[in-house]
Amino acid sequence: MLQQIFSLSFMTAFLAAAVRLAVPLMYGGIGETIAEKSGILNIGMEGVMLSGAFFSFAGAWYSGNLFVGLLLGMIGGLVVSLLHGLLSITLVQNQSVSGLAINMLMLGVTSFLFKLMSNGQGYQQIETFPNIAIPGLSKIPLIGDAFFNCDFLTYTLYVLLVLTWIFYKKTNLGLSFTAVGEHPQAAESAGIQVKKYRWIVMVFNGLLGGIGGAYLVLVQLGVFTENMISGRGYIALATVILGRYTPFGMFGAALLFGAANALQIRLQTIGVSISPFLLAILPYALTLIAMIGAAGKNSEPEALSKPYVKGAR
Amino acid sequence: MKKLVVLGLAMAMTASMVSGVYAQPVQAAEGEGLKVALLLSGAANDQGWNQTAYEGAQKACEKYGYELAYTENLEAADISAAFADYASAGYDVVIGHGYEFGDPALEVAETYPDTKFICTEADASADNVASYVMACEQTAYVEGIIAASMTETDKLGAIGPIPGDSLVKIINGYEDGAKSVNPDIEVQTAWTNSYVDTQLAQEAAKAMIDNGVDVIKHCANACGNGAMAAAVDAGIWCQGDSYDQSSLAPDNILDSALYNLDVVIDTALGSVADGSFAGDVYNLGMADGAVEVLLSDNLPEDVKTTAQDAIDKIVSGELEVERDYTLRN
Repeated sequence: MLQQIFSLSFMTAFLAAAVRLAVPLMYGGIGETIAEKSGILNIGMEGVMLSGAFFSFAGAWYSGNLFVGLLLGMIGGLVVSLLHGLLSITLVQNQSVSGLAINMLMLGVTSFLFKLMSNGQGYQQIETFPNIAIPGLSKIPLIGDAFFNCDFLTYTLYVLLVLTWIFYKKTNLGLSFTAVGEHPQAAESAGIQVKKYRWIVMVFNGLLGGIGGAYLVLVQLGVFTENMISGRGYIALATVILGRYTPFGMFGAALLFGAANALQIRLQTIGVSISPFLLAILPYALTLIAMIGAAGKNSEPEALSKPYVKGAR
Repeated sequence: MKKLVVLGLAMAMTASMVSGVYAQPVQAAEGEGLKVALLLSGAANDQGWNQTAYEGAQKACEKYGYELAYTENLEAADISAAFADYASAGYDVVIGHGYEFGDPALEVAETYPDTKFICTEADASADNVASYVMACEQTAYVEGIIAASMTETDKLGAIGPIPGDSLVKIINGYEDGAKSVNPDIEVQTAWTNSYVDTQLAQEAAKAMIDNGVDVIKHCANACGNGAMAAAVDAGIWCQGDSYDQSSLAPDNILDSALYNLDVVIDTALGSVADGSFAGDVYNLGMADGAVEVLLSDNLPEDVKTTAQDAIDKIVSGELEVERDYTLRN
């Protein structure tokens, strides 16, 4: 059995599965990183992703075009994030309450719309985006297949990760966006329009979270099922904290979670004599252990989830 | 103005939250029919376990002229309250759909002796509580025979959601059926530990395919759609569950196991209608029409004949399939 696990073919296939399971978390995570860097905590990421998944499916189903589906999924995510923006930026409400309410709202809304859409019909299915192998890179043993024989949304994600990193590390504008999350009063007095900046990050939060949900439908499954995000939005929040609010930290955390999940399901199929209940805990246990390892180094934006009222102290 | 917006949004959100958990009258009774309530642990349109029950209850209530209400997406903690709500609201029959409804039904039934409680797939019985168990291991056994006759690699895969009794007996029946054809066959199993994680079910199927599996059976509700998608992608055989799932995998499907909850619920409500209702645990199998295997045209004639033979033997009682609730791995 151990021989089976440590074979090259097992490891290659396992890594590819880890990436497939991690990509939705990474899209949600990068959207959430951007929002939290500027002080907005969107617990409603689960709802954003669910909206992205449903509307991408509806869009692709009715238009017959996957790109229309992707666009609609992004808009679906955007609308949910803007709702959170309305509540937390304009109306200065408690962000945790708003986020949780949004998750329940979107579960209801997407289930209801899917009920209307599938009423009286058989199974609805769409085509999925094909994998595009990158010549050369995809032939690297072990990791080539996992990272460079993917769909275009995964490659787009790599680019986004690099761009986000450059933006926050190397540009003045990135510093301004960080300032909004660290000390909004100081930022405001330096001429930064805090509310405007926070609206901008909510736009990215929605578009990227929407893609995270759409990825499941348009790349992996080709079907929509109720509540199909099944907690990935919450895991995405955890990857942001675990990754210390940096794009690549988040990338690593999401990959760790995807790998743990891929490992537990693969161990089950090769008949490892560990209870499936215990194996299912693995991803969560690893996340906890990793968080303990990262304890003591607080990198949370100072003003995270604190409502901002201009002029107030 | 701001307050109005907040109030409006708050109301909309509250409404959306309760929508799953309050009674939804479906049809008004003609004449003086009884009031029947159906409790579901998932969505009434999940294209699987819950939808079949909902549609079955609709059909049976139409037949007997009963009025039907239902509550969907019940969490385990809310089941007792839902039973009590309907009983105290004067409902004559409350049906709980699934194993998890058994114990709460017993708990509530003492307080409401005039209400009849019916549970599917449970082992609860009292004066006013009856349970109806479907012999899903019979269909699974036949599906195992079919899969073992079709495989070329002698490796089969079976994917379930949460390892509860009514699902473990399916996976075990499947393995027993396959091994009755070829004792050396390997059946790989995986549990997603979720009814909704469609991507994880797909990953389980992909893992099995990487291991050389060439027939995949699922009993994983809506998330099983992911397993079917993986089978279609890899061009291997798959076996559906709960519904005729041939439209999900027209070229790859071997069969679908059908759980005719309309027969089960019809039998249960029929006993109420003719006054023969008695608290007990009833087993309904292929012979009662409660479960069946729908063979697809992708099956070659000889396998069809083998499968039909097994079905006939189970119906006649010549072949008894063991019901095994123990998790095997």
